[in-house]
Amino acid sequence: MRGGKAMANRSVALAAAVVAALAGCGAGPAAPAPVADSIRCAAGTLTGQGSSAQANAVNIWIRNYQAACPEAAIEYASVGSGAGLRAFISGAGDFAGTDAALPAADQPGADARCGGGPAIHLPMVVGPIVLAYNVAGVSGLRLSPATIARIFTGAASTWDDAAIAADNPGVVLPPTRISTVHRSDSSGTTNSFTSFLAATAGGAWTSGSGSTWRAKGGQARQGNGGVAAAVRRTEGAIGYLEWSYAQVNNLNTAVVRNGDGEFVEVGNQAAGTAVGTATVTGAGGDLRLDVDYTTAEPGAYPLVLVTYEVVCARGTRAGALDLLKGFLAYTSSEAGQRAVARLGYAPLPERIRARVAGTVDTLG
Amino acid sequence: MGVLNTPSRLRWWTFSIVVAAAALTAATSLLMSHTQDQVRTIGAEAAPQAATASDLYFALADLDAQVARLVLIAGAEEHSGSQIDALSTYRERSRQIDADLERALSTATTDADRAIVRDLLGDLAVYRQWAWQALAVEWEQPEPRAGQLPPAARGYYAQATNVLHFDLLPGAKRLRDASQARLDRAYDEQRATERVGIALIVLLGGLLVALLVLFQRWLSGRFRRRLNPALLTATLITAGLVIWASAVLAVEGQRLRAAHRDSFAPYLELSHAQAVSYDAAADTSRYLLSGNLPQYREDFTRKSECLVGGGACGVTTGLDARVRERWLGYRRDHERILTLADDGRTAAAIDALTGIRRGEAAFDFYYYDVAISGDATGHKQAFEASFADAEGLLAGWSVLPVAVLGAVMLLVPAGVWRRMAEYR
Repeated sequence: MRGGKAMANRSVALAAAVVAALAGCGAGPAAPAPVADSIRCAAGTLTGQGSSAQANAVNIWIRNYQAACPEAAIEYASVGSGAGLRAFISGAGDFAGTDAALPAADQPGADARCGGGPAIHLPMVVGPIVLAYNVAGVSGLRLSPATIARIFTGAASTWDDAAIAADNPGVVLPPTRISTVHRSDSSGTTNSFTSFLAATAGGAWTSGSGSTWRAKGGQARQGNGGVAAAVRRTEGAIGYLEWSYAQVNNLNTAVVRNGDGEFVEVGNQAAGTAVGTATVTGAGGDLRLDVDYTTAEPGAYPLVLVTYEVVCARGTRAGALDLLKGFLAYTSSEAGQRAVARLGYAPLPERIRARVAGTVDTLG
Repeated sequence: MGVLNTPSRLRWWTFSIVVAAAALTAATSLLMSHTQDQVRTIGAEAAPQAATASDLYFALADLDAQVARLVLIAGAEEHSGSQIDALSTYRERSRQIDADLERALSTATTDADRAIVRDLLGDLAVYRQWAWQALAVEWEQPEPRAGQLPPAARGYYAQATNVLHFDLLPGAKRLRDASQARLDRAYDEQRATERVGIALIVLLGGLLVALLVLFQRWLSGRFRRRLNPALLTATLITAGLVIWASAVLAVEGQRLRAAHRDSFAPYLELSHAQAVSYDAAADTSRYLLSGNLPQYREDFTRKSECLVGGGACGVTTGLDARVRERWLGYRRDHERILTLADDGRTAAAIDALTGIRRGEAAFDFYYYDVAISGDATGHKQAFEASFADAEGLLAGWSVLPVAVLGAVMLLVPAGVWRRMAEYR
């Protein structure tokens, strides 16, 4: 009997090996990400507009949702956060994507557009921002916020600058000239980058924060793609850009020091840890976040961009409500968050994701 | 026999039956063990190799589709989402191809297969060189605009896609054909073993049963006892084992063939059709980036007709109704895009190509891809389940005959022990 049992076990193991061999051999075209399981379909049309930083993620969600739900038609216009919010307040579109929370002065207008029901913020997309560099012979570059400020303000002109060397003990740094690359257009990426430096670099950064920043030197390039292209072809270059662009362009990215003094490499987990320390400052279902760029949470990568969908808590037009709830339920689901990870977005921390999903269910 | 006394005859019968039982034991165990090895070869080697080769063909086709898309829109900020998606997919396909080639090289069983893989590795290096030169030229443009390619980029891409279509895809096809032929051979060998095995088991088992029945009759006549319980038990056990073993071999073979016919072969067909459709969709991009070369219109039409009506593109009878309907949706987009391009409205054509609204190419192709991928994945999972099910039938069969027929070999001397004692 022992022999028979052993044979049976071997046979089971063999069957498992066969299945594993087939499953693991890349057997067949990679199927599109499965979407149907977590999608609650609704019919109708839905339109949104706003942040270009989240446009890639929203477009993937729209594609997946529409593929699973033949009766749904959703459009998102990537017109920038400001224009998106203005359009929303004026009554256009059913939701707006924005990189920054509604200014206090605009909140009454947004509430009025919702027929009195408040306009609320739903954090939906987390985009880590990285410092991509192109320095011969240097990998794993470590940068503290003050050093980043020195580099981008021109105080450090060569890569063997003392501050950079202090962040990278034991690393031989070349005397190559530093060529910084920044955005020529208004962007949420610039806003998060400058906000991060304003909060963490102390006296080394005096330029404040905002979605446009006119650097005194360096190269100005349009879009993340322009920054990536400039870094890619310029020796000694460093630029800030969305993580996805650095990934697909195979660019080295700096390890950034957080409030705990720890140098942390960018990653989904590290970015999620930083967002997880954010404080929810809105009331009720309004989930606007105050990201703590100085977070001392171990393992947190502090340079992140959180973008929101602004929707009516009450007052969405009847013809779009079910579709809005179905669509946002998908985007805030684990599957929805996973679906955009391959584009370089970090999933929302579970604590916040669950609150967003819960709020979506209450929309009226 | 006539000269033997009764004790000698008893010993002769016992010895003959034990020898026949031992022969049946050895034959059944070896056959079952050999069948298990053959099934293992199919499931752990031949089928995965065929799947790997099929996957390689698909990944190569899609790699060039992504490069075509990138060359068409490279650097254009308004299409940054499409670029990220294309670059991301390019990286995934690139890794997939490297993994497939590594696996194909490590599991190749003939020098000819190894030579194909080495050629593919060399051709792939050349392809990547041309593709990245095309992209580098575009990225160097001060203000790149979608569809407005520098002539050098067009030239480099033409070199790349030629390497793909004249070297890489034919090489991948040879590898795929070889692996599928090997899979077919493995099935044929398993079928032959099944037939020989059933015949041998029935023959040897029938002989053993006949000996047991004749011995029983001889004992009845000689010792005036109607039945010897031990011999009767041995006879029933032997008959049961023969029927069971033959049935296991037959049913196991049927299930294996059904798994291949109903699941694995359709999966390979769909995988091939998917590769053809990706290549066809890339013809839309190639038409635009080539400045409306008619050959890409014709290539698309040929591939599309094959997908719809069946032929050498993999699906012998064409795509099923649901998948075909979605493919026709993409074909309508393709025709509209080409009309826009022919009218000189290249920017509008590229918008229609990259758009994700219903009725725009990127969405409609994804919609089609979800359907065909779902079907292919379903067939693959069904094959894995059916295969594991078929294989489970053989569990324990290399030792079961030893145990059962060992009991028969003990029962026979036990049955005649008292009769032998009468002559001591």
